[in-house]
Amino acid sequence: MNDAVRASGICKSFNTLFRSKKEVLRDINLLIDGEEIFGILGPNGSGKTTLLSIFSTLIYPDRGELTILGIDARRKTHEVRKLINISTGKPNFPWSLTVRENLRHSGMLYGLHGRELERAVDWSMESFDLYQYQDTRFENLSTGVKQRLSLAKAMLNGPKLLFLDEPTTGLDPQMAQRTRALVRRIHRDMGVSVVMTTHYMPEAEELCGMIAFLKEGRIVAQDTPARLKRSLKIGERLTIRYRGDVDANALRSIPGLISADLSTGRADLVIDKNEATFSRVMRTFQSAEILELELEEPDLEDVFIELAG
Amino acid sequence: MCSLSLQGEINKCLSAAYKNWIISKRNVFTVFELVFWPLISLLSIGLMTRFLGVEGDTVAFLLVGAIGLTILQICQIDVAYVLLFDMWSKSIKNTFVSPVRGYHLVLGALLFGMVRGTFAFTILVVISRILFGFDFLAGGIHTVLIFLAGVFAVSAIIGMIVCISILLFGQKADVAAWSLSGVIMLISGIYYPVSVLPEPLQFMAHAVPLTYFLEYYRSAYGFGDHSIVTGAVMVAGYMIAGLIALEMTIERARNTGILLRLSE
Repeated sequence: MNDAVRASGICKSFNTLFRSKKEVLRDINLLIDGEEIFGILGPNGSGKTTLLSIFSTLIYPDRGELTILGIDARRKTHEVRKLINISTGKPNFPWSLTVRENLRHSGMLYGLHGRELERAVDWSMESFDLYQYQDTRFENLSTGVKQRLSLAKAMLNGPKLLFLDEPTTGLDPQMAQRTRALVRRIHRDMGVSVVMTTHYMPEAEELCGMIAFLKEGRIVAQDTPARLKRSLKIGERLTIRYRGDVDANALRSIPGLISADLSTGRADLVIDKNEATFSRVMRTFQSAEILELELEEPDLEDVFIELAG
Repeated sequence: MCSLSLQGEINKCLSAAYKNWIISKRNVFTVFELVFWPLISLLSIGLMTRFLGVEGDTVAFLLVGAIGLTILQICQIDVAYVLLFDMWSKSIKNTFVSPVRGYHLVLGALLFGMVRGTFAFTILVVISRILFGFDFLAGGIHTVLIFLAGVFAVSAIIGMIVCISILLFGQKADVAAWSLSGVIMLISGIYYPVSVLPEPLQFMAHAVPLTYFLEYYRSAYGFGDHSIVTGAVMVAGYMIAGLIALEMTIERARNTGILLRLSE
């Protein structure tokens, strides 16, 4: 099976005022097998949307090699476009077209026709719960329904690879959760490889099996969420409220203790996640009375702050 | 398989016609584009011929110009709309991530423009027949069809120039959609023979195929004997060049990233 995306040495600059160049992406190397949902994370302006636009062949890179689903995406762009689609977090369609008309128009752009077109439109509306809005104009839809329309449009041509650009931006928590469930369904039940961008960390943690972090146009880290947290040594936050004495020097010398902030009756520790470290830490509190103990796992937010900071 | 692929290609073209049709039928401005302004233009010219005491074939000369201008404007704006609607609704990304090419968009929009142009033409020739005695069939039906084909082809070329301008210069280029046809009409002799133009403009007029189609239609009313071959060859060449230029401009827009900016 071909990799979903194979990118090497991708660079992109845009002309700015007075003809100077702004480098947006620098030497991007990525291998996305498509088995799991792949997340591209990064702060605003890090180049996520540009990268996704290059992967979807909307725009071209200045340099580098790009293969999408085993097809050379720099030379056979039309072949690639037949097999992929994209949905954006701020979807836009012609305002005065209804949901059904917008889907029909989008299907026609992919060459669908006759019964095949109507079947695809009906399937999309049913899959994304849009039937009740089929005669509503795009301009009168709520943000959540617009988002569902965007996803429905992106599935019309039966893509093998779907790009989602910040799919839950601007949605309320309930609608965002619903959209995430749809994304999971697209990947798991419909067998579509998904590459998505987000800067919402819990979303990436919930959906993505692999993550790449973009910062100032470069990939600064790439791994599974769990391994990223471990490799960055962000560690778990352990807060202990206690009464009595603790040997601070002994505590600070424990291997695997990343940081220790001790004040009267309270220790804020960050420890590497392994049982040996945890046991050693607890032994230093043997002579004290532990009143409260709180262990908090790091999340991708911490990874994000660490990497973006 | 081949027929399916052909049907797919046709439907890619029809996608543009479909979008323009839906937007047009919901837009109250369509009535103004198709009926109100064309009638104002026709009546102004027709009544002016009465006031100036213009007779017979000279009236036909002027009315051919008024009708030609109207259908040219209607049809060329339809071709331009194919990108303008996407640009205004910021949905240009949806079009260009799909496997369509420039010619799909232009041919589909042109088809719809021809339908609208023919509708307006029919209204105008009926009104001008009733009010000013203009016989639009004086040169035979083939003359009318050739004239219309020429005007529609020139409309496609102007529409493509507008699309190319949008992809080169962005949103600010949409002014070209309304101004370019006026300039073309001015130098191609809308209400006068091109011989009255200053020499440099006469030279330009002969590079505009519309000049030949206007002269050809007017020859049916006794204004010279004009061949359509030069105009036909020119329009075919410009159409091919325009389609190639549009395709190249789309590729350039993908390189410069303007497609991304037009979607934001």
